[in-house]
Amino acid sequence: MNLAMLKPGEIGQITQIGAIGPIKRRLMDMGVLVGEKVKVEKIAPLGDPIEVTIKNYNLSLRKKEAEGILVEAVK
Amino acid sequence: MSSELSRGEETSPVQSSDSNDVAAGFSLRNERETITVAVAGNPNSGKSTLINAIAGTRLYVGNWPGVTVEKKSAVFEHEGRKIKLVDLPGTYSLSPYTQEEIIARDYLVREKPDVIINVVDATNIERNLYLTVQLLELGIPLVIALNIYDEAEQKGYKINTMAMEEMLGVKVVPTVATKKSGLNELLKVVTKVVDNPSRYTPKHLNYGEDIESAAVSVQGHIMKQNPSLNNKYPLRWLAFKLMEGDSHVMEEASLKIDDAFVEKATIHLKKAHGDDIESIMADERYALASGLTREVVKRPEVRKMEITEKIDRVVLNRFLGIPVFLAAMWIVFKFTFDLSQPFGDWIDGATAGPISRLAAKAITAVNGPLWVASLTTEGVIAGVGFVLAFVPVIFAMMFFITFLEGSGYMARAAFVMDRAMHSMGLHGKSFIPMLLGFGCNVPGIYATRTLENPRDKALTALLLPLMSCGARLPVYVVFIGAFFSAHAGTVLWSMYVMGIALAVLMGVIFKRTLFRGESPMFIMELPPYRMPSLKSLMIHTWEKGKHFLIKAGTYIFAVSILVWFLLNLPWGVENKKDSYLGKAGQVIAPALAPIGFGNWEAASSLVTGLIAKEIVVGSMAEIYAVQQEDEETTTVSDDLKEIGSSFLTAVRDSFRNVFATLGIASISAEEDEGASGLKTVIQKTFTPLTAYAFMAFVLLYMPCVVVAIAMKHEFGSWKWFGVAFAYQMGLAWVVAMIIYQGGRILGIG
Ligand SMILES: Nc1nc2c(ncn2[C@@H]2O[C@H](COP(=O)(O)OP(=O)(O)OP(=O)(O)O)[C@@H](O)[C@H]2O)c(=O)[nH]1
Ligand SMILES: [Mg+2]
Repeated sequence: MNLAMLKPGEIGQITQIGAIGPIKRRLMDMGVLVGEKVKVEKIAPLGDPIEVTIKNYNLSLRKKEAEGILVEAVK
Repeated sequence: MSSELSRGEETSPVQSSDSNDVAAGFSLRNERETITVAVAGNPNSGKSTLINAIAGTRLYVGNWPGVTVEKKSAVFEHEGRKIKLVDLPGTYSLSPYTQEEIIARDYLVREKPDVIINVVDATNIERNLYLTVQLLELGIPLVIALNIYDEAEQKGYKINTMAMEEMLGVKVVPTVATKKSGLNELLKVVTKVVDNPSRYTPKHLNYGEDIESAAVSVQGHIMKQNPSLNNKYPLRWLAFKLMEGDSHVMEEASLKIDDAFVEKATIHLKKAHGDDIESIMADERYALASGLTREVVKRPEVRKMEITEKIDRVVLNRFLGIPVFLAAMWIVFKFTFDLSQPFGDWIDGATAGPISRLAAKAITAVNGPLWVASLTTEGVIAGVGFVLAFVPVIFAMMFFITFLEGSGYMARAAFVMDRAMHSMGLHGKSFIPMLLGFGCNVPGIYATRTLENPRDKALTALLLPLMSCGARLPVYVVFIGAFFSAHAGTVLWSMYVMGIALAVLMGVIFKRTLFRGESPMFIMELPPYRMPSLKSLMIHTWEKGKHFLIKAGTYIFAVSILVWFLLNLPWGVENKKDSYLGKAGQVIAPALAPIGFGNWEAASSLVTGLIAKEIVVGSMAEIYAVQQEDEETTTVSDDLKEIGSSFLTAVRDSFRNVFATLGIASISAEEDEGASGLKTVIQKTFTPLTAYAFMAFVLLYMPCVVVAIAMKHEFGSWKWFGVAFAYQMGLAWVVAMIIYQGGRILGIG
């Protein structure tokens, strides 16, 4: 299961970050780390990108990047 | 903008009770010229606002990440000492992946500032401390400005700054940059640290046994191989960078170290934690930041729904998002136009009428020759006056753009539009330079720096001139006033939409041709909404609009004189058609015939518009030699009175228009008789159809000279400007042709 599969309002815990190189580092620098909880807030009107909250702030990223972030759904 | 010298308002001398510090201060006053303070922190944490508040500068501020893209500095005096504050681009990390990060860290490492003020966003301490942890690795004395403290309090956060100081070994000062509070205290602490750096050296945060021991052995090795590096770089930091495999640093330091050694030093680390040392380090740094945050910040148990969330429910709503965006744009244009037009008409009327007459009288009074009077009234006053008439419209536009930037809507627009931008090979972030381009293309071109890769930058800069900038407004205003005054707002809006639509089209074409390949990533923080203060709105509107005034005062002035000469040379030319400019126009005119305005007057003014598009109307005024039809004789006091009374009318009309826009009362401003001579002449030579084609042509036909220079500056060559010039000329002609010929087939005009 990956972050792009969560619906607005759902929360996931990150299990693995698949992306490599600069994108991975960028995500990590912004707090997207294994073990962290992310909540999907919104999907943009045109279907992409998505908005999530992580570490208490709002981050937007594209589905393509979100697909590289594996999560476990949290109730 | 370069540095400004001014004295801060909040920097009154503070009496220090610590006699040691005072003594040190005295001795240092002579030893050291300037204290250099680097201001570093996450994007949008308020660094530029803080510097503006302290030093009285007017650095560019906005509520979206990535406003500052270049380092800027401000020098001011505090207690008799010179302090230089260096505003660095906001960064989340000191990794080598984005241009801003490289600028920030190169500065910190190479220039070795005396102190770092680390601006930390108090509402988001954890992510901000992740950078703090990295800044501490540099070993430079550091002071934390815990900024945006007001919002943190509002959210009900309890922050234990004493504990924070204890754990990090640095001073922490709560500040609210927007309200100038805490700044005195901050400066006091900064000078203390400068005077006594050894007492305030930051703590070595412990990254855990495995990382630390690997770092120690790498450090030892560096010292053995390249002992001189010890003076150039903080050794511990260098060791970390080597372990992370930071090629930028290795190249720069021209490190002569065999990989095998680093490999050996990190063997144990890799065995215990996995292969990717960058990830291990990031995890460890975040672990420190999280731990610290847990210790010092208490968040309220129940989180109440915040205003930002409420607004975003509507603004980012799946169904409402796009309509809201389009409506917001429409309102901006409508207000810009309605509010400012009466004032524009006033300046226009005043310069064409009373001011010209006053100037003519003054010249006659001192027995000036006739041609001087003509140069002054028909050349300078007509040219510059016409451009000045657009000052109100430009400032109104800049005001709205500043508001959008300050409120936080910019980032939302990027979010909503990302998908659409994606289809043209760009991403939502490119949308920000594009939006800025509506004000003026030039800052838009510079703002492309926030884009991470060169491909994006180039493509964004190529499409950006299609965003209709403020300089094109004068042309629209004149033509809309002459032909479409009943639907002014809508017609104006259609020009902007046309620009955007064509940008999409060209983007798709470019993506398939010149710019094949991967389209870039999009990772962006959405800041909370904020209400910009009226004062800061005024300041930044002024900063943006000021360039237009300077332009009008300098080279539009010069060009007006040049155009007058080109229109009156060879000396004594009877008919303007035979002047140099007229002849040039005649040569070009046939090429414009298929698009509806193949006359030499239009062609000549378009030529002058290559320098700056607002000149088009100025030159038209000169070419058509617009004169007040009523050549009645007036006295000086009549002229002055006329200027005053028409201003009051303008104020009244502006108010009326606003209400009309709001739909409270729909009063359509009645046509003022002979408000503008140029409008009357245009009505004779153009039809609504050719007028619309002309407006489209002006929208598209090429970026102005200043944009050309900006593009050269940003890309280091004329290549991209060349591409922009060529495609835009072609596009302008084709579009105007379609409008004109299409309209004729449909029987319009
Ligand atoms: N409420 C509140 N808002 C602040 C404070 N300081 C800055 N802001 C707002 O935060 C936003 C960002 O300010 P900037 O000064 O542009 O931030 P920056 O750190 O220079 O940002 P970059 O240049 O993008 O790195 C603006 O909207 C400011 O008005 C503060 O103390 N309190
Ligand atoms: Mg800034």
